[in-house]
Amino acid sequence: MRVVSDIELVPASVRRSATFLEAAEALVSHPVTTIAVLDDDGRVVGLFADSDLLKGLFPRYLAELRHTAFAEDDADALAARARAVATDPVEKHMHDPIVLDESSSAIHAAERFLHCDLGALPVTRDGRFVGMLGRAELCRAVLARTET
Amino acid sequence: MDIVAVLIFVAALGVIAFEWVHRTKAALVGAGLVVLIGVIELDTAIDAVDWSTLGLLIGMMILVGLSERTGIFTYLALRTAQLSDGRPVRLIFLLAGATGLASAFLDNLTAILLVVPITLLLADILRISPIPLVLVEVIASNIGGTATLIGDPPNIMIGTAVPELTFNDFIVNLAPVALVTLAVVTAVLYFAFRRQLVVSPERVAELERLDPARDVRESRYVKRSIAVLLGTIVAFFLHAPLHIEPAVVALGGATILLLVASDDVEDALERVEWSTIFFFLGLFVMVGALEERGVIGEIADWLAEATGSTAGQGMAILWGAAAGSALVDNIPFTAAMIPVVQELQADDEVFQDGLWWALALGACFGGNATLIAAAANVAAAGVLERSGQPISFGRFLAVGLPVTLLSLVIATVYLLLFQL
Repeated sequence: MRVVSDIELVPASVRRSATFLEAAEALVSHPVTTIAVLDDDGRVVGLFADSDLLKGLFPRYLAELRHTAFAEDDADALAARARAVATDPVEKHMHDPIVLDESSSAIHAAERFLHCDLGALPVTRDGRFVGMLGRAELCRAVLARTET
Repeated sequence: MDIVAVLIFVAALGVIAFEWVHRTKAALVGAGLVVLIGVIELDTAIDAVDWSTLGLLIGMMILVGLSERTGIFTYLALRTAQLSDGRPVRLIFLLAGATGLASAFLDNLTAILLVVPITLLLADILRISPIPLVLVEVIASNIGGTATLIGDPPNIMIGTAVPELTFNDFIVNLAPVALVTLAVVTAVLYFAFRRQLVVSPERVAELERLDPARDVRESRYVKRSIAVLLGTIVAFFLHAPLHIEPAVVALGGATILLLVASDDVEDALERVEWSTIFFFLGLFVMVGALEERGVIGEIADWLAEATGSTAGQGMAILWGAAAGSALVDNIPFTAAMIPVVQELQADDEVFQDGLWWALALGACFGGNATLIAAAANVAAAGVLERSGQPISFGRFLAVGLPVTLLSLVIATVYLLLFQL
């Protein structure tokens, strides 16, 4: 079974010139947790994931802390942070790209997913972006094949 | 071969000082070269590794890593900040005191990794810059860590290399001067930073509204972790009369905590900073090569001739160790200086500890001079960098160098009056 043979890919992407806010809006408007960042030729230069959105909207030192049950929201500070990152170039916040060729097997796609914290990975044809493959869609396709 | 050993060691120090590659890579390449070229035999290289130092470090990393999961350190840091009532003078002295104390009994690198992230959150709550507070904490950690055998990597190395020096010897001889230095330095830092730490009453009220015990209440194993941690610290005090090495105390405490308060051994062992352990391993082999080739002996002879009296040697070691630590890193410098001091004392009929205290004070206080001088500084800079609030080499130097000079003056007076 090839990755894209019977799975519907999600064409979720932004140009590398996009801002953090534009990428965030594109991300939340698609049913995947990661979108591709593309150059002018349609090649994947990065990935913008929900974890990047989280890191941009909240203080980065949170990743260093393990105990924050005592903490309370400071609405003004959160709003100020969101305003500050809104115009950042998306490239400042994105992951390095991990790409699946459309000829990849489901086994290879599953292995890639298991070794990264991304909920979706870009699929390419001849090096150019085709669409995003989500973890759930991959699993759904495998289950559907099992049932038939 | 002598010159080859020196060249490899100096090259590794240079690479570490300029941060061309990670310090662990530099130390391992240096160690690999001295063995491959034949400067030192493999068996001698293995013997040169101070396994007790590595055991002590690994034991403390597991102990503190497992205890940290309970949230007790976050509780203490937050409670300390609440006690300040938002007043700059109290905030600085309480944070410096708490960090100094934690450094003395946990080790300063660990203390910094625990306290800096929570400080960033505190600074956000209080709407002040975190940099002055982090600088105070880093400096306090290097001074506080000077007070005990386990407080700072140079002391761990000295304490395990010199069996005559016990945990209590370190406290009796170094804690008083560390305490005085910490008080004086903190006062200076208060006057330097007080205008940057003014907090509005609304933000103080916000801080005081927080419930610092909430994480602790939600954690498992709190009582067991505190009991084992305190038991281990008590065992350090008693290691000499009980004839147990400090490394055995730390590894014993870690093993007990693994048994009673850890469900996942793999996760517990991930708390060990293996890059630091391999850094030490590489250094020990490179210094072993210098010893094997007689370079250390020649340095000791030169030092003895150049300085003459014990007081002169002590001053040379204090200020030389501080300068070396500031330029390179206090860990490799101490690794190289330990056999030099041992050589200096080789002909003494009666063991004298003064030179060891000079080395400990020079290396630990020298760790405050530059951003790369101590592991705690590098760790704090890393946390700040990852948080998007980096501190430059120059900004650290502007505070660290005067503080180091002041600390060394205090150490000089102390050593000349009481030790040399």
